[in-house]
Amino acid sequence: MNIKRLTLVSLIALGTLVLSACSGAPVSNNWHGLAADAERAYISSGTLVYAVDLKTGNEIWRYPAEIDSKLLFYATPVLTADGQLLIGSAGTSHPFVSIDPTTGKENWTESFAKGAWLASPLILDEKIYAPNTDGFLYVLDMSGKETADPIKLGGALWASPATDGALLYITSLDHQFHIINPTEGVVSDPIDLGGAAPSSPAVGADGVYVGSFASTVDFIQSNGKHEVIATAENWIWGSPALDGETLYYADLDGKIYSLDLATGSQNWDVVQPDGPIVASLVVAGDRIYAATEAGTFVALDLEGKTVWEKTVGAKIYTTPVVAGDLILVAPYQAEFVLAAYDAQGKQAWTFTPAK
Amino acid sequence: MWDTIIINPMTNILVWIYDVLGHGPHMFGLAIILFTILIKAITWPLNASQVKGAQAMQELQNDKEWLDMQKKYAKDKEKIAQEQMRIYKERGINPFASCLPTLIQFPIIIGLYQSITHALSVTPYDMLKLARAIYPFQNVEGIIPLNSTFLWMDLGRPEGILQNLIHTSFLPNGFPLLALIVALTTYVQSKLTMPTSSNPNDQSAQMSSMMSIYMPLLLGWFALNFASGIAIYFITSNVLGIVQYAATGRANWSNLLPGGNKKSSTKK
Repeated sequence: MNIKRLTLVSLIALGTLVLSACSGAPVSNNWHGLAADAERAYISSGTLVYAVDLKTGNEIWRYPAEIDSKLLFYATPVLTADGQLLIGSAGTSHPFVSIDPTTGKENWTESFAKGAWLASPLILDEKIYAPNTDGFLYVLDMSGKETADPIKLGGALWASPATDGALLYITSLDHQFHIINPTEGVVSDPIDLGGAAPSSPAVGADGVYVGSFASTVDFIQSNGKHEVIATAENWIWGSPALDGETLYYADLDGKIYSLDLATGSQNWDVVQPDGPIVASLVVAGDRIYAATEAGTFVALDLEGKTVWEKTVGAKIYTTPVVAGDLILVAPYQAEFVLAAYDAQGKQAWTFTPAK
Repeated sequence: MWDTIIINPMTNILVWIYDVLGHGPHMFGLAIILFTILIKAITWPLNASQVKGAQAMQELQNDKEWLDMQKKYAKDKEKIAQEQMRIYKERGINPFASCLPTLIQFPIIIGLYQSITHALSVTPYDMLKLARAIYPFQNVEGIIPLNSTFLWMDLGRPEGILQNLIHTSFLPNGFPLLALIVALTTYVQSKLTMPTSSNPNDQSAQMSSMMSIYMPLLLGWFALNFASGIAIYFITSNVLGIVQYAATGRANWSNLLPGGNKKSSTKK
């Protein structure tokens, strides 16, 4: 092979390599999904889902046993009352999977959706309502079989539905908000939020509260009446957190808001940790937990004063999860995938998967 | 650096065109087509130099000094190579001029691919990055997320039709119509622009001949496996290239026929 031919073939090979490095997978990467029960934390982390012992921080099992590059898990795993752990894949192959949370063994797997799974399902009255990025809400029985035609909602569904026990409330990424009567299979006229809403609404006594990229918080009643009740300085990514008559929410400027629902006024002027806030706020007891993109995990009291603040060391996008006496944080692209803190902010353990 | 210079400007232009078009269904596909026309206009000087380079190479094949040199050093390939380089230098001919524009397309293709996947934001993390990449003057809240539908395709995913009828491990997305069109148009374009030569030792012609085989296969493979938005770019770019070359009156249509490239006559 002469030099010119070698050069040509090398250039083509180099081009192939560089372009291949762009990743052909439709879903490239995302932050972790995190859930917990009394004994274990469950974390979806790309090709694997892990169960971690809450006492020790040690791995109990991983799913699947053999890595399949077509499977990617980013959604928050969901535990069911009948002892299943449900999660869908966001990879090039997108089955919806039921795992035994004690052993990590697969109960069943079903492939019916055209798109990736980024949202977690909701369980209501022995039925699984599973939102997919293909714009359909799939209705399954507890063994994963479709019990009705999927409900077409339009835009990609990234957020889990919320329920008041009777109706389903769900956001789609095309700026629309949907109210569904699951027993009658009726979908109300969509409500335009003015911006994409990637997270679930918070359910209150009289309706639901949802934040959006329009930098507003909308209050939506079950009859479809809605109004903007608050604004923010930047996009609202996470779900609002409702605590009695107070609604807490945060924006991408990193500001945390406390809205008095009775008066419609803000309870404090400026509470702003050190970075944008994507994760939902968590209210537990007399603490508000917030995690920032700058990698800070902060506990506030209900007046907005900092109780303690920890530097986790990597960006945090995943909503923290309270598990018994611990609060769990899953940083993105860190040395460890999970850290546990006690109520005083002392780190109990970190979990780094073995290779 | 790469993001700042290539990806972010490309993404912003794509998003801006999409917004101007009315940001509805099919508009992102149209935005890619218009963006490709823009890229073609910008790279027009490169393409013109390709035409000029190919013409110079064609003329050289019938040049007396060139033919004499080939005959004289027929048994000494090293000497032929030296003499070829001397003649190239003396006459100001760049032997890579005909394939250089194609190779220069690679960074554009990579940038476009990343811009398309960037703009379509298939995960929350991608969307967060997109939000940071969009310039402040754009109405990003109103247009995010971009509608990735174009004809029968989702531009953020590999293309395929008849998925219900054709579903094999080799063709997981159905019949690869776009990939075939990409390969065909790439083949036609490279054949039309390929210099003709009656000289079996002409390395330039050998290289062009190789390119006309490898490039359709390579780009067809990309179209098969990557986001269908990139296939829209390939097809638009190829068709524009064919039209552009045909407009110069130098398109060698006989090259498309079997054995056509052995003919020595070219249109002038």
